[in-house]
Amino acid sequence: MWLIALKASWRQTFTLQIRYLFNFLSAIITMSLVFLLMFYGVRAVGAGALDLGGTLDGLFTGYIVWMIVLNGYQDLAFNVATEAQTGTLEQLYLSPVGYKWLAFFSGSLNALISLAMISVITAIMVLTTGQELHLDILSILPVYIGVYIQAYGLGFVLGGLALMFKRIQSFFQVVTFGVIGLFMIPWSKYPWAKYLPFTMGQHLLQEIMMKGMKLTKVQGGHLAVFAVVTVACFVVGWGLFALAEKKAKSMGLLGQY
Amino acid sequence: MPNPRYGDSSCYLEVQGLRKTFIGRKRKVEAIKDISFCVAQGEMIGFLGPNGAGKTTTIKSVLGLVRPDSGTITVDGIDCAGNPREAAKRMAAVLEGARNTYWRLTVWENMQFFAGIHGVCAAKDKEYFEYLLETLRLQDKRNTEVRNLSSGYKQKTAVACALAKKTPLVFLDEPTLGLDVESSYELRAALKRLQSEEQRTIVVSSHDMNVIQDVCNRVIIISNGRVVADDSIDDLLSLFRTRNYKIVVSKNAYMQHPESLVTEISQGFSQADINETPDTVEIAVGFTNPFEIYDLIKTLSDFRVAIESITQEQVDLEKAFLEIVRRENGVCG
Ligand SMILES: Nc1ncnc2c1ncn2[C@@H]1O[C@H](COP(=O)(O)OP(=O)(O)O)[C@@H](O)[C@H]1O
Ligand SMILES: [Mg+2]
Repeated sequence: MWLIALKASWRQTFTLQIRYLFNFLSAIITMSLVFLLMFYGVRAVGAGALDLGGTLDGLFTGYIVWMIVLNGYQDLAFNVATEAQTGTLEQLYLSPVGYKWLAFFSGSLNALISLAMISVITAIMVLTTGQELHLDILSILPVYIGVYIQAYGLGFVLGGLALMFKRIQSFFQVVTFGVIGLFMIPWSKYPWAKYLPFTMGQHLLQEIMMKGMKLTKVQGGHLAVFAVVTVACFVVGWGLFALAEKKAKSMGLLGQY
Repeated sequence: MPNPRYGDSSCYLEVQGLRKTFIGRKRKVEAIKDISFCVAQGEMIGFLGPNGAGKTTTIKSVLGLVRPDSGTITVDGIDCAGNPREAAKRMAAVLEGARNTYWRLTVWENMQFFAGIHGVCAAKDKEYFEYLLETLRLQDKRNTEVRNLSSGYKQKTAVACALAKKTPLVFLDEPTLGLDVESSYELRAALKRLQSEEQRTIVVSSHDMNVIQDVCNRVIIISNGRVVADDSIDDLLSLFRTRNYKIVVSKNAYMQHPESLVTEISQGFSQADINETPDTVEIAVGFTNPFEIYDLIKTLSDFRVAIESITQEQVDLEKAFLEIVRRENGVCG
């Protein structure tokens, strides 16, 4: 049953992705354009104006992490919100595999698709700005997966909210920009910012992609923080989602009542 | 088929003492107050009740989409609260007013997906999927995206997806709601055919008695969150049929005191509805006691009128249903 369900879920996710190819392509174009605007904007004003890790490097990796976060949390939260409204969510809940596992199945494939998309955008970013990047895949991938899992935790929280309160997609936009704020907190002034979601991921990515450091050479303490934050984000998100699920079932909110 | 009773081994689905009150942000709604029933394997049973009666809430409680406040639900002997995963393996549903399918996927892709997440592999069960497509007349549409189909076809796709899971128990909540007459008939015909060919247990809910009367053999009438009747459709109808008569007599030369006939009958049988034409008198009367008809016949024979016809008034389920709901509400206040 599990294998068949996994196959079915991947096939469906992939097919839908193809059907929505236009959205996929337009996302690549907008995301690239937004970056270029920011890049040249910041350069014109002077890099010091925005403290994104101090330099334009920060903008680069900050933007990449931001895209990972966006893809990660939107995948789940957006699906819950729209499927609750269209009425396919209840059908997913009828599956003996369980909704959380189905979300995990399609989420794993979506993580791959997002990786492809972000790679393309990164390539466009590199080509248009002439920025040098170190592409040590073996070091980047674990950070990507970690950040994606953190984002999934956020997605679970927002997905839970979407179960309780319908039509909160506009609130997601606010969150999207709120995430940017996280990267702007300078660690030198506020050392606790290290322990926030996503920030350590951005720091690690900067070390790897900009300074050409290997993941194994990164400060051990930072890796530990990254790992702990990743697990914490996911567990908290999962837990809150389970709670929201329970509440939604008791209030009869899985459908579009 | 006699009604299966609680605790009966022939009960495939057993619901007992189900209650649910929704506590909304503004107010409390007692959606179901006390619902118990039992469905045998292979039965096609109807849930009939006006809007807001609690049909959908009952169905969703069984499916695990709504958590009831109290009551027990067993499917195939499995306690749904204790072992939801095992119970889920045995159930599929088309839910009311929802899309139930992905509009950007084709009919076939939807069937493949929904069967898949229930552990049924389309590639292995191709023949069965073809059978469903044929029965529901969806063959030509298999590669059409659902968003491009008419509402009748959309609904049939949803039904196909639910059936493709090959579960022994299937719920169809208001399957004909919003369909045009033709699509509704077609869907009903397909359901009847499926039922006769596969012996699945199917629960169809509707507020439209014609739908239930057409496809089900037994009906559970729900009103105000309670079961108010649970019987085979034939028995339910005969309950009403035996007591309602329409008698037509013709006025003729032998008739004595034709002018007092009407008065006499309307005094003797206050519940009678009398309709006089130049040549005939039509008497429609419902007896509470079946022997009262003899009194009426006697009165008619005293007047020496010729009886043209006596017919048992054809009650349809609609009348029976309205009557039951009316009585029940009278009792409950
Ligand atoms: N999620 C919900 N929250 C609050 N009230 C609800 C909810 N779902 C249903 N109800 C109310 O419960 C009652 C029964 O509804 P429902 O089960 O949908 O009836 P039916 O399917 O027979 O039309 C109605 O009064 C309805 O307004
Ligand atoms: Mg309903």
